[in-house]
Amino acid sequence: MTQGPQPSGRPMSLADRLPAFLFPRLSPIALVGLFIALILVGFLIYPVLQVIAVAFQNPVTGALTLENFGDFFNSSLFRQSFFNSFYVSALSVIVATVIALPLAYITTRFNFSGSILIQSLGFIPLIMPPFVGAVAMQLIFGRNGTINLLLRDHFGITIPFMEGLNGVILVQSIHYFPFILINLSASLRNIDRSMEEAAQNLGAHGLRLFRRIVFPLATPGYVAGAALVFIKVFDDLGTPLLLNVNNMLAPQAYLRITSVGLNDPMGYVISVILVAFSILSLWASFLVMRGKDYATVQKGGGGLAKRDLALREKILAYGVVLFILLIVLSPHIGLLLLSFGTIWSFAPLPDGYTLANYVRMWEGSQQYVMNTLLYAGIAATLDVIIGTAIAYIVLRTGIAGRKWLDYMATAALAVPGVVLGIGYLRTFQNVDVPLVGKPLASWWVIIAIALMIRRLPYALRACMAALQQVSLALEEAAESLGAGKFRTIRRIVVPLMAGGILAGFVTSFATAAVELSATIMLVSNDRDSPLAYGIYLFMQTPSGRGAGAALGVLAVVIVALGTVLSQIIIERDKKLRTAGRA
Amino acid sequence: MRKILKGTAAALVLTSTASMAWAEGSVVVVTSFPDDMTSVIEAAFEAAHPEYDLEILNRSTSSGVRYVQEIAANNTADIFWASAPDAFEVLKSNHLLAQAGIATEGIPDMIGAYPINDPDGYYYGFAASGYGIMWNTRYLSANGLEPAREWSDLARPEYYGHVGMSSPSRSGTTHLTVETVLQGEGWEAGWSEWKWIAGNFASVTERSFGVPDGVNTGNFGLGIVIDFFGFSSQASGFPVEFAYPTVTALVPANVGVIENAPNPEGARAFVEFLLSPAGQQTLFDPAIMRLPVNPAAYDAAPEGLPNPFEDTSLGAEVLFDVDTSGARYYVVSSLFDVLITYRLDDLRAAVRAVQLAEERHADGSNAEAMALIAEARALIDAMPITEEQSLDPAFSGAFTATRRAASDQVEQRQAELEQQWDAFATQNYARARELADRAAAM
Amino acid sequence: MKTEMAGIEIRDLHLSFGETRVLTGINLSIKPGEFFAFLGPSGSGKSTLLRAIAGFGPQPRGEILIGGRDIATLPPWKRDVGMVFQSYALWPHMSVRDNVAFGLEERKVPRAEIRTRVDEALALVGLSHLADRMPNQLSGGQQQRIALARTVVIEPKVLLLDEPLSNLDASLRVQMRRELLALQRKLGLTTIFVTHDQEEANTTSDRMAVLDGGVIQQIGTPQELYDRPVNLFVARFLGTANILEGRVEVEAGAARFRTATGDVLSLPVEGRAGPTSIVLRPQNIRIEEQAGAGTLPGEVLHREFLGSQVRYLVRAAGTEIVVDQSHRAGEIWLDPGARVHLAANTRDAVLIAQEG
Repeated sequence: MTQGPQPSGRPMSLADRLPAFLFPRLSPIALVGLFIALILVGFLIYPVLQVIAVAFQNPVTGALTLENFGDFFNSSLFRQSFFNSFYVSALSVIVATVIALPLAYITTRFNFSGSILIQSLGFIPLIMPPFVGAVAMQLIFGRNGTINLLLRDHFGITIPFMEGLNGVILVQSIHYFPFILINLSASLRNIDRSMEEAAQNLGAHGLRLFRRIVFPLATPGYVAGAALVFIKVFDDLGTPLLLNVNNMLAPQAYLRITSVGLNDPMGYVISVILVAFSILSLWASFLVMRGKDYATVQKGGGGLAKRDLALREKILAYGVVLFILLIVLSPHIGLLLLSFGTIWSFAPLPDGYTLANYVRMWEGSQQYVMNTLLYAGIAATLDVIIGTAIAYIVLRTGIAGRKWLDYMATAALAVPGVVLGIGYLRTFQNVDVPLVGKPLASWWVIIAIALMIRRLPYALRACMAALQQVSLALEEAAESLGAGKFRTIRRIVVPLMAGGILAGFVTSFATAAVELSATIMLVSNDRDSPLAYGIYLFMQTPSGRGAGAALGVLAVVIVALGTVLSQIIIERDKKLRTAGRA
Repeated sequence: MRKILKGTAAALVLTSTASMAWAEGSVVVVTSFPDDMTSVIEAAFEAAHPEYDLEILNRSTSSGVRYVQEIAANNTADIFWASAPDAFEVLKSNHLLAQAGIATEGIPDMIGAYPINDPDGYYYGFAASGYGIMWNTRYLSANGLEPAREWSDLARPEYYGHVGMSSPSRSGTTHLTVETVLQGEGWEAGWSEWKWIAGNFASVTERSFGVPDGVNTGNFGLGIVIDFFGFSSQASGFPVEFAYPTVTALVPANVGVIENAPNPEGARAFVEFLLSPAGQQTLFDPAIMRLPVNPAAYDAAPEGLPNPFEDTSLGAEVLFDVDTSGARYYVVSSLFDVLITYRLDDLRAAVRAVQLAEERHADGSNAEAMALIAEARALIDAMPITEEQSLDPAFSGAFTATRRAASDQVEQRQAELEQQWDAFATQNYARARELADRAAAM
Repeated sequence: MKTEMAGIEIRDLHLSFGETRVLTGINLSIKPGEFFAFLGPSGSGKSTLLRAIAGFGPQPRGEILIGGRDIATLPPWKRDVGMVFQSYALWPHMSVRDNVAFGLEERKVPRAEIRTRVDEALALVGLSHLADRMPNQLSGGQQQRIALARTVVIEPKVLLLDEPLSNLDASLRVQMRRELLALQRKLGLTTIFVTHDQEEANTTSDRMAVLDGGVIQQIGTPQELYDRPVNLFVARFLGTANILEGRVEVEAGAARFRTATGDVLSLPVEGRAGPTSIVLRPQNIRIEEQAGAGTLPGEVLHREFLGSQVRYLVRAAGTEIVVDQSHRAGEIWLDPGARVHLAANTRDAVLIAQEG
């Protein structure tokens, strides 16, 4: 479909007379694809290769070698780090599942008035800015945090929630469980009601029904969410570093790459291994899900039957939900306390409360807020545009190599932020931007680009899912009525994908707004700093902790408001469409 | 909706591009100093020099160095401003600093035993800092502990699990602390002291400010920090105190002009301002609390801040040798991480076992047990390399950044060395623990 | 495979979705072993009634007795009612064998017995060779049979079929409905079959209930319903019906039907005076060339050749009347525009008194 027959009768241009393989005739959509491929190569693949090339060089001679990888596997510390990373990731998936499963189950299976609460609050942990989450968690669950101080005073015991790997697992599962919650809920909602009824009819009910029928049917969503959690935890370095856990791969890579003046290639070797392992995990999850796209084989749809809860069940459900929310929102509670507290030292609660932190924060942070809105806005907008384009090219065209667009964009998931940041410095410091008179690597736009690349996989998945739900017939109808490809995309496809695109935008925006790992390498000017960087500045002084927390609260509020707003738009859009269908 | 979005985006682009206009007189400063400190000095500098606009770029010392290295090809930064002299040594050796030739009259050559300015004129000291111990008074009284005053106190068994510190590879100031003790007490004794202190660690923090943070919140009780962390925490109202141990070095915090700076005049003006009496006065701000290098400035010093030019006991104990420190910089960092940071659990277990065994045999009557304990202690103390090796350029070459011709033979790669040390440490710690446990069971 | 036969008795069943009443005053008695159809247009409540028997949907008011036991308040998994879903609802993550074995496993049947019974059930539907396939590797007809096997293997007291043939193509549908009937007869299972297709209901069921607006309109054998519909809805819904509006006039013991246009048809005696509709099936009307006693003048509007029959649409008595003439070879057909006279066999007509 991309290379139609050559229009005859037109005068031959120079390009026409050259051999076809030199200038293959590309349809406009193929050109768009090519353009996106260039962006991905230029801003993702090439910079990352610049960095990880070091892993394949002899540190002294610069010759190509694999001996660094031999060193990696010979080192017991690295082997242990690898094991720890794996262990933490796997356990985080389990704990996140334990958190997400009851929430997903209760909201999808029952007429539960708290569902809206879960839907909106369930998203908030994802937008916890780095640095503050772990700090707040220490204040609540740490060795001498609120819980342990109270336990010690009243029962003479303490629980090591935050010691070593435990702390990482706890913080990570609280932070990332929404990935499982969102995907699992969507899957549960898509199950054909008769699948469940058939099982009930044959005698199954309760947990057995859930275990044997409902959950297996929801596995594709669950696996997608779990794989994401696994990879994010595996690659994440912020949390272990803040909890002072070094014996994991990502922190080892970071520590080695950023150490003063060292030319140790091991950091880069670890980066390569992180990237490779993440891609492997993605691939494994694709394998698991292959042939299990149950959503498309189910006809009736309509989701599972929702049941009313008896009073006792309702109390139980609320109890479970509130308990889980209390735990997953504890970083936010801690943050809120810290932002309003005066001094909080070795005490269950702050000594006193004040608004001074907010005043101080507001005086110095408006620029950060504006920058964040700008960067995250640009990044998320570009993400959904590119995401929609890739989704369309992959799902609707036969362009050769189209899958690679998907693979490349998704590979960004597997690239640690630091690696991307260093790659950009290496690649773009010598590229001067015309008219601005600065290297591209020091221009604020590069921060937005980094955020765009880092968040593209989220937006892409949302756009893919949205496009899969748009029936091909609707497009064909428009085309048969004379609309061209681009007009069809603009007038039919994109409006029908609106809900999914918006969801992608929100995910990209919200997570980009609190991103730090890549931006910290790229901020070249205080005035260009985004909010997360502002928090980071505040948090490194004793007197700035409260103000930093206040800025964190502001970040959460801004992003949460945006999320709720778009949730409302999505809901309205959904209603509009179901109304149109009935 | 779409229109509104577009409008807002456009407004955002306009406002922020307007604010990001590249001021003619902007001076870009790469610094590890916290916002608390830089904002005060920035305000004072811009008041004194309205023609310049200071752009602060906050990085940890190590990533600041990395940043300056990465952007060197097309440099956009004017000033590097941080504590650790070693970081400046690295930049200097990479030819990334300029000789600014700034007059330094009124400022002595030495503070304590340390030269204030780089003899070659690549960087200048503008404030002095010493290292010491800070503690949380609430934490200590809740745990029934006394504050530790000397490094060796921190190794006492009652502090087990109560101490926090950063790592020399992460924090330039921590590196100085470690090196100070190594120079003050000698290679073997110094490392032994660090290991026994580390046995009491609650954690090794990733950033140097993680230590005052941990003490301030009460996550651990005592921390090994640079003085201004203690002073400024106290000034912020946290229930903490700070003391200098006898073995400490007062070392200057530094500032240098980056080679090929886009705004060399502005850079010079900033350095000159920092060293001027007005600039020195800003260091007494409660959020900064650093010791000026200009003795004249002490007339206005707040109460409680020591004057190293009069109180000569401060930091005089150790003659800090920058060359020694520089020669084995990476070796010390790497040794600390491999022997302590990354194997903290093993080390803590071994140290705890010895502490318990010694408590069990406090009277020393059981000779067999005492011999086992001594053997265990020796295993923990043991170092994989000697001081001579650490100073041997051929040896430390495995760690350095400079790339040589293929014909130059370097004995071993860093990864190989670290693996050997790691094996050495884990084996010794495990054996020490086993011996101490056996002694305790007697 | 043997099943103890059970009858179904539904007494005064009412059901609402919130404020909307979906089923009203359902009373029904299905004999053991009977093949019973619920027939009605979409939205008539037939599927809701079936689902209420299986225990799905909102809790109804009233009684549902199976084999004399009221199951109306039992959860679905305790009812012992087998249901085949319109979408088949084969679980895509389980093989055919696992799907069929599911109900037996839930009933804690010993493993060895499960194996033999699953094999039997698959043999019954003729798909033993597909036991290890996954559902998405099967054709629609095969999925249908597996769904059936999965349901009958648990030996339910009654079998509920919710539009089981609607997802199959036309030729397969005819074949499947015969197989379904044969299977039902073999197992002797009391069966309820929900459909909107009168042909399916007519060809399979012993008796059926026609539903509209949540109310049972009529219950009877297919023949009774076709020949003696109690109201116009049933008349129209079952087969093609010509309905003439008018009045019955009784004069000296002889009844006549006078249409709105004033044409008169003579009637057998049973007619009662008053406003009435008369239902005439197409095959009970003849086309005459000459006007006779009680014939209606008309004009041919349209002709369709159906093979065994020729169907004419004739404008007469102020309405359009469908007339079927059986076709003989070489017969000359009437063309649109031809003037004709319609003679009705009123002995086979049904009179339905108009209410109000």
